[in-house]
Amino acid sequence: MPLDSSSYSIAQLSTQAAADGSSYLEMGLTKIICTVHGPRESPTRSGSSSQSPGAHIETSISIAGFSGTDRKRHGRNDKRTQEMQHTISSAFSSTLFTHLYPHSTITISLHVLSQDGSLLAACLNAATLALVDAGVPMSDYVVACTTGSTASYAGDGEEADPLLDLNGLEEQELPFLTVGTSGGEDKVNVLIMETRVQVGRLEAMISVGLDGCRQIRGMLDRVVREHGERVLEARVA
Amino acid sequence: MPSEPAPSTNESTFLLSALRENIRLDGRALDAYRPISLTFGSEYGTADVRLGKTRVLAKIACEVTTPYPDRKFDGIFTINTELSPLGSPAFEVGRQDTTELLLSRVLEKTIRRSGALDTESLCIVAGQKCFHLKATLHVLDHDGNLVDASCLALVAALLHFRRQDIEVKGEDVTIFDVREREPIRLTIQHRPFCVSFSYYHNGEVMVQDATLLEEQCRQGEVVVSMNRFGEVAQIAKYGGAPVDGLSVLSCTTAALERVKGFDRMVTEALKADEARRDEGGLMAELSAENERPTGSMLVGSEN
Amino acid sequence: MASSTILLPGETVPHSQLPESKKGTLTLGPNLRHLPQAPPASISILPTSSGLLQSDAKKIALWLDTPHARYAPSVGDLVVAQVHHSSTETYHVMLTPQTPYALLGQLAFEGANKKTRPKLEAGDSVYARVKAAGRGEDVEIECVSPNSGKADGMGPLKGGTVFNVSPAFARRLMMGPGKGGFVVLEELGEKLKFEVAVGRNGRVWVESGSVRATVAVGRLLVGCDEGGWGVEEQRREVRRAVREV
Repeated sequence: MPLDSSSYSIAQLSTQAAADGSSYLEMGLTKIICTVHGPRESPTRSGSSSQSPGAHIETSISIAGFSGTDRKRHGRNDKRTQEMQHTISSAFSSTLFTHLYPHSTITISLHVLSQDGSLLAACLNAATLALVDAGVPMSDYVVACTTGSTASYAGDGEEADPLLDLNGLEEQELPFLTVGTSGGEDKVNVLIMETRVQVGRLEAMISVGLDGCRQIRGMLDRVVREHGERVLEARVA
Repeated sequence: MPSEPAPSTNESTFLLSALRENIRLDGRALDAYRPISLTFGSEYGTADVRLGKTRVLAKIACEVTTPYPDRKFDGIFTINTELSPLGSPAFEVGRQDTTELLLSRVLEKTIRRSGALDTESLCIVAGQKCFHLKATLHVLDHDGNLVDASCLALVAALLHFRRQDIEVKGEDVTIFDVREREPIRLTIQHRPFCVSFSYYHNGEVMVQDATLLEEQCRQGEVVVSMNRFGEVAQIAKYGGAPVDGLSVLSCTTAALERVKGFDRMVTEALKADEARRDEGGLMAELSAENERPTGSMLVGSEN
Repeated sequence: MASSTILLPGETVPHSQLPESKKGTLTLGPNLRHLPQAPPASISILPTSSGLLQSDAKKIALWLDTPHARYAPSVGDLVVAQVHHSSTETYHVMLTPQTPYALLGQLAFEGANKKTRPKLEAGDSVYARVKAAGRGEDVEIECVSPNSGKADGMGPLKGGTVFNVSPAFARRLMMGPGKGGFVVLEELGEKLKFEVAVGRNGRVWVESGSVRATVAVGRLLVGCDEGGWGVEEQRREVRRAVREV
């Protein structure tokens, strides 16, 4: 199932000059700006001499009030957002070479400008780009996408095809999961599913998701390479 | 800021090399649980789950309030997790840490979002009166695998709970005291249970029901929630070391077996508890007197 | 030796329980306090905690056994400590969780000088002796005997693993063969080859070369502590464990 990549996804690197690394990503109508600061020295907290062997990754997600269909204030203490922050931090802590930066912090700030499904996946992809831009050493990109199943019960026929990359409406109606890969093909880094689905459907959903991740990986890789070439050209000129 | 002390290097390296040989420090098989005990309190809606040294108490309470304006036909159901210093010195009152965040999110997704409880049945008069069901989880002792123990306790407590009976006549609502009328069970649509897997050596070794030490040494976890019919309520793998897609799928197969066991256990414990309460068959008499069409408690949701 | 006198804080030690001896001074063990100002002829020994009164006629000693109390360091105790972090001249080590760190001098090892001192990382374990533990001062430990300057079995613990037991169990375990009512280690020693370091702080380090044997030893110790096995039961469990290894 190919992604409609031509009109679908826009990705840019180095969009924010002040940050160590930044990116802008559109996946459909979901739009995200990501900035990365660090690795930098951890602010010393009195009392806790945490001698962590590697860098600590902090993620903050701010969802703009105008990002959804109805204007809503999203508090930072929303548990769903906090869970996403935790997911992103731990997804990258296994992929980034954090051991190179003891006693440091890497801050990933994600600003959601518009949301229309696949929010976690878009956040992960945007963060990957920004981290590449910041030059943080990593073993692989973390790429993610969503897959949904068109039928939630086993009886509805086996031919129900899994969907790739859901928009907001589809997410509300269909059971879906977010799958993120890193470190080689078919290696699942993140897998979050929040809706009820028959266990038999999972295999097809995950395999379609992994396939989608592969395509997105190619897309992100292209963006990074093009950006690299531009940077090099500017140097030469 | 207290936190769980990190295990010594000796402990963590030994644990990992033991797991390489498929040996666990307490002699269990990799997919074995510690001894589980499930007991109910004297009150309806209290369940006490012990999983080895981990101990969790779930308590359900119910009161009458006004429903949310955007959900007129639904009652309110909230889950509250209490991680106090009672359970472990690393828990602090008032400070929310990741353990609590993830625990409450998993329970929320497993039980609330999957529709385990029929919230419509908690409605009394649409838009005006409904029951607010409050489930509180107290972690009394923390030795790993809080998620599975909590979910088990919560589902068992929900199944055990009885709410006060009501009668609606037009606008008038009568709530009967438990002494007047036998209280009523909740409408539970399915019973989801959580099974968490901790993995080591890049997913080559998967362990069920990890102890605190095993949790501290793991590379990542996969939490699968499902019911005995094989419906998955949620899956969560928050980062950690990447594993094979197939091994995640094998988790769901293993979880299904485990969930069937949980389901049987809860059913048996409920039956035993009912038998204990029903000494001399007095309960049967009481409920026969109260028998009435079940429709009357759903008045609010019909219009 | 075993007594059934349970004492609570504030009670007095009954006369009949005092070890009878003509000469020598009575030594008071943990959780007992002597009140010198008490009027003569009354008992001036006060329990400060609740537990079982224990006495030793030979050593003229009296102490209170508190099975589940938290470990409180006292001078001379052997402990299994875990390095938390290090500063210029000392390691800060953890004896029990959630208590202030004890100090271990970086040169407090056998034959250690600035060049030969052992390099310990955070998380490493050491077997050490409590050197100073007073009111209002940091607990200090050392890995070298103050008399001989030798290690005497103390020092960094390499390999193996650490099991947690109750401090009272650890103390009884250290009393030696048969005395504390535990024969697990002796029985095991006849069948298996292993090294063990019992810390008074309730941590026991075990190493035996094979994972299976180490786990077996550790599980027996933990089971013995939690199950309160009698001597016969201990022998039976040891036989069973050895068969499984």
